[in-house]
Amino acid sequence: MSEMVRKATIAEIVNHWILAVSCILLIITGYGFLFQLKPVYALFGSNYTMKVVHNWTGLVFTLSLFGTMFNYLHEALDLSSDDWNWIKMGGGYLTKGHVDVPPMGKINTGQKLYYLAILIGGLGIIASGFAIWLVQGMRTLTLLSHLIHNLCFVLFVVAVPAHIYLGTLANPGLLQIMISGMVPLEVAKKRYPKWMKEIGKL
Amino acid sequence: MTNHWIDIRNADVVLVMGSNPASNHPISMKWIMRAKERGAKLIVVDPRFTQTAAKADVYAAMRSGSDIAFLGGMIKYILDNNLYFKDYVLDYTNASFLVNPDFKGPSELDGLFSGYDVKTRKYDKKTWSFQMDEKGVPKKDPALKDPNCVFQLLKKNYARYTINKVSGITGTPKEKLEEVYKLYASTGKPNKVGTELYAMGWTQHTIGTQNIRAMCIIQLLLGNMGMAGGGINALRGESNVQGSTDHGLLFHILPGYLPTPTASLASLPAYIEKYTPKTKDPKSVNWWSNRGKYITSYLKAIYGSSATKENDFGYAYLPKLDEGMNASWLNLFYKMWQGKTEGFFAWGQNPACSTPAAKYVRDALGKLKWMVTANLFDNETASFWRGPGMNPKDIQTEVFFLPVCSSVEKEGSLSNSGRWAQWRYKAIEPIGQSKSDSDIMNELYFRVKSLYQKQGGKFPEPIVKLTWNYGEKDANGKVKEVNIHNVAKEINGYYLEDVYDKTATPPKLLGKKGDLCASFVHLQADGTTSSGNWIYSQSYTQKEGKIINMMARRGKNDPTGLGLYPEWTWAWPVNRRIIYNRASVDPQGKPWDPKRAVIKWDPVKPDPNTKKPGVWVGDVPDGPAPPMASEKGKYPFIMRADGVGAIFGPGLADGPFPEHYESLECPLEENLLSKQRINPAVSLKIQEELGVDLAKYYSCDVRYPLVATTYRVSEHWQTGVMTRHLPWQLEMQPQVFLEMSKELAAEKGIQNGDKVTVSSARGDIWAIAMVTDRFRPFKIAGSTVHQVGLPWHFGWQYPEDGSGGDSANILTPFIGDANTMIPESKAFMVNVKKA
Amino acid sequence: MANTPNKNNRKAILVTPEVCIGCRGCQTACKSWNQLPGQKTKNLGTYQNPPDLASSAFNIIRYSEVPSETNPVRWLFVSRRCMHCADAGCMKICPAPGAIYRTKEGAVAFDKEKCIGCRLCVAGCPFDVPRYDKDNKISKCHLCYDRIAEGLQPACAKTCPTGALRFGDRDKLIESAKQAGYGKIYGEADLGGLGSIFAFKDAPKLYGYAEKPNIPESVIFWHNVLKPLAVIGLGGAVAGALIHFAVIGPHKDEEVKKS
Repeated sequence: MSEMVRKATIAEIVNHWILAVSCILLIITGYGFLFQLKPVYALFGSNYTMKVVHNWTGLVFTLSLFGTMFNYLHEALDLSSDDWNWIKMGGGYLTKGHVDVPPMGKINTGQKLYYLAILIGGLGIIASGFAIWLVQGMRTLTLLSHLIHNLCFVLFVVAVPAHIYLGTLANPGLLQIMISGMVPLEVAKKRYPKWMKEIGKL
Repeated sequence: MTNHWIDIRNADVVLVMGSNPASNHPISMKWIMRAKERGAKLIVVDPRFTQTAAKADVYAAMRSGSDIAFLGGMIKYILDNNLYFKDYVLDYTNASFLVNPDFKGPSELDGLFSGYDVKTRKYDKKTWSFQMDEKGVPKKDPALKDPNCVFQLLKKNYARYTINKVSGITGTPKEKLEEVYKLYASTGKPNKVGTELYAMGWTQHTIGTQNIRAMCIIQLLLGNMGMAGGGINALRGESNVQGSTDHGLLFHILPGYLPTPTASLASLPAYIEKYTPKTKDPKSVNWWSNRGKYITSYLKAIYGSSATKENDFGYAYLPKLDEGMNASWLNLFYKMWQGKTEGFFAWGQNPACSTPAAKYVRDALGKLKWMVTANLFDNETASFWRGPGMNPKDIQTEVFFLPVCSSVEKEGSLSNSGRWAQWRYKAIEPIGQSKSDSDIMNELYFRVKSLYQKQGGKFPEPIVKLTWNYGEKDANGKVKEVNIHNVAKEINGYYLEDVYDKTATPPKLLGKKGDLCASFVHLQADGTTSSGNWIYSQSYTQKEGKIINMMARRGKNDPTGLGLYPEWTWAWPVNRRIIYNRASVDPQGKPWDPKRAVIKWDPVKPDPNTKKPGVWVGDVPDGPAPPMASEKGKYPFIMRADGVGAIFGPGLADGPFPEHYESLECPLEENLLSKQRINPAVSLKIQEELGVDLAKYYSCDVRYPLVATTYRVSEHWQTGVMTRHLPWQLEMQPQVFLEMSKELAAEKGIQNGDKVTVSSARGDIWAIAMVTDRFRPFKIAGSTVHQVGLPWHFGWQYPEDGSGGDSANILTPFIGDANTMIPESKAFMVNVKKA
Repeated sequence: MANTPNKNNRKAILVTPEVCIGCRGCQTACKSWNQLPGQKTKNLGTYQNPPDLASSAFNIIRYSEVPSETNPVRWLFVSRRCMHCADAGCMKICPAPGAIYRTKEGAVAFDKEKCIGCRLCVAGCPFDVPRYDKDNKISKCHLCYDRIAEGLQPACAKTCPTGALRFGDRDKLIESAKQAGYGKIYGEADLGGLGSIFAFKDAPKLYGYAEKPNIPESVIFWHNVLKPLAVIGLGGAVAGALIHFAVIGPHKDEEVKKS
């Protein structure tokens, strides 16, 4: 067994899956709302139950999203010229076979940007969601919230499948990190050289 | 109503003055709108721009209490411009009659008519009479030129009502007056018809009766009486107030408009003699010559076999008024307030809110020994002892409350303003302990009767001898439950013997003993018929052995196309839908307006009764006699002794012509037309007894500078007892409000929606200010006069939190009309300040 | 259930303020039929009460005073109620299937059981009509769908004494109003044609109605752009991933190691 390093804490992993499950539940119910999908509603028994599930799942999602800020926000905001170069070459995803990408830290540029997008979109969908849920009698706010909620929804329905793909098929082994939290040192050295340097493994 | 609701649609001009039908009689607006669709014009004259005014083609603002000035100006306009309907005026009114040369009017006597006695405030009406020819028929001048003829006297009297003068009194701009006069006078043509709709806005004045008289004169001048789309139409204030008036609700009449006997008329013949008008004119039907038949049949109905020829048919049992006694509403409460009344039944009424000077009325209730209230709900009268300013400990009145069921919980008839007696059915059983009025009366009657039977008493006969055949009786002879059909049949009347027409040879059988009477035409003065109310005879009748409740009919045929619907229920008298309809045709029997023929004479068609040719077709005519011009013809106004419409009307207490007088409380130092500020014939007995300084107190009192009037809203009913308990109605009109002009509000520093205090010499109440352009300041006699108005539906007792406010009748003055004693609630003086 | 009404059998209420007398029989009749409670109100210096539509007030008469040349004022009475739009903003935005639905007579009715209480219909309505009851369920005029299904008139029209509220076939009502001299019928074409149509003598604004009522632009944008985008976006993302996987394949660390 090769040496392993801990890339994700248990808390981080738990939070990720809470976020993931709540987000998917919200997307499913969201589609139910958007197109008045009776089969989706049927999963929850009644119209009203689905709304309750959506609203309270939204709260879970919110707490969970805030939780991610402890894990990723600092890192995501730490952008350098390497990140710019990474972007320029599409993180290597546009090329068949291996290409050398600029050295990355614990999370790469794509993940940073993805996180920031999810954070901003998430805050947008959360704020607008709560406004629709809780604020009454302010028509313009409701309409604006409705618009933002749905704009962010579009973002999520694109981002979530992409994330799943990148975390599974596109990057074999990544899923393991979100299960055990551990990554083989050898792999880490290649993928996260900056991080490895920081913790003195490289 | 001389006409009926649907008939409004036939009018060319509808004058709404003294009413606000859009708010208070919404269904009438259906027919007004139908008329408008045909091109008719709607005129609204009102101090306030009402909901009806909002629909008007012409609106004229007029200060409350100045209606006679307004209408007097119209009479002058019609005469000056020769706009009257000449043939009609000549043939169908007393315009050509010559009046006693000693008669003098307000133009000569500075506001008085001849015969006035200052001390008694009464007129000796000797000079208000016609000159008679040798046959005893009034002398006439068909040229209408004789200075003593009614037409010339009318002209002379209203010559003073110039546009300038009228505008100065009413506050109506001159051009508006002319616009209204011109439009309404356009109905003076034979093929044009105008109708007038009034309600309490005309009656509740010290000159209330004369307000209506003034309009009668106009309608006669323009030939609008008896016509489809014409007439004088009282929009009654309750759905069945017509019925209750017909059945003797008021103190001065018995059922069927038979005068209440007075003590001096000791015998039935004396009564009949006094109240049977006479005429020597063979062309006059003089229907009231049948008075003896009606009073006798009435006595037979109520006293049955105890009413015999020997005992004057029980005439002695009837209660009598003392000579000169006025038992009107106001006087009842004045007596009560003086502590002269022991007990009181407040049945289906709420005088603590409906009577003027309501605070005093509430005090008066505290002076009773006992009071029985019968009502749907508890109300300010029943609970007066715990009302504002009352200390229950000090009040000794014993109060009983009898819960009465509502109209949908009982069967019976209802007479609407158009005189239609309509049968209606029980929808549900009475709720809780409530009973119908008739069952409560039945209970009461048998208990009182048994007390008389056991204890004797001073005069038991009037009670113990009453017939009471209203249903199955128990072992004690008490009716178990009133069968309302039996009451209706008693009202219609029976043949008590086989009754024959003795004028025919051989005498013809009119009706068999025990059968229901066919109509009042068959009623007899010899005790062989009964009828509880002659005008309702034919309402529950019998044809070929079959009993027919005419009031329950629901036929929708309309043969004339005028909306008479003769098979829909039944109208008194004898199903006549438009009364005085003989005036709608010329003396040959041809309709003045063939397009709206109420009746017409068909000289060829055989009369179904006599089989001779010549019969009226259309509505039931005012008598079957042929047209006036024919040999056996009769005059059209059959209820009048002289058979014609009274332009000169000597019957009233305050003058044969309406004269403008100010309300008891008014904003003017003097009447601009004469020295008589207020109606000289109005009774000031109560004020004098109380030592009120009339000259100083009521007019131009700086403490109360604003003219006020009261009214209703569609959301509430009378004192609100039935509607204030309904959250739906209360939601729409939750609180008493005071409407006022923006100018007045600015003067008083009042904003829309502010709480204000309204005060009069009788007391004060709070109200919510409704600041609006619907009231505008008036220019009266050159100065600015403000008017305000408020609804009177509210009362302290409900809503329970007191959020509704109290009755506007706390403010209204305790004074009545010279003829009817109806209180003057529609013009009085108040002040307003921010609360 | 179709979102838009069947043109051939569309019923409507024609409101003619010229003949409205402000008696408010319609307000009471509506409450009576629908068994709605009365609210505790105050007089606010106007006859209008309750001040606006409420969960217990499906229709109100709006009283307004406007200047007049010949009279002290012009006093207008006009019924305010659900417009039963053919293109109904409330239905468009409503997320709950069956909560707001189109009856076969063309009315916009609702089913409280299916309402989720999100209140989006309030925002989506161009006329500020939907209200919410104490259980947070939609509450508004439904054109007495239960009465008209049985061949009766809506309670308000049934009680109206003057014909200010008339119920019937929409086409026929429009034709009759035009015959009566009303040139333009408010709601004839607006929002796909309203189910409450108005014969106005003057500009709609005078009666408190917008000249050109519209569903909020954001709702239209959402409906026309975002809703398709939400499908395209998801589909695109999934398809993109699959294509990427097929064409480019997964990320390969091993090659780094070998080189």
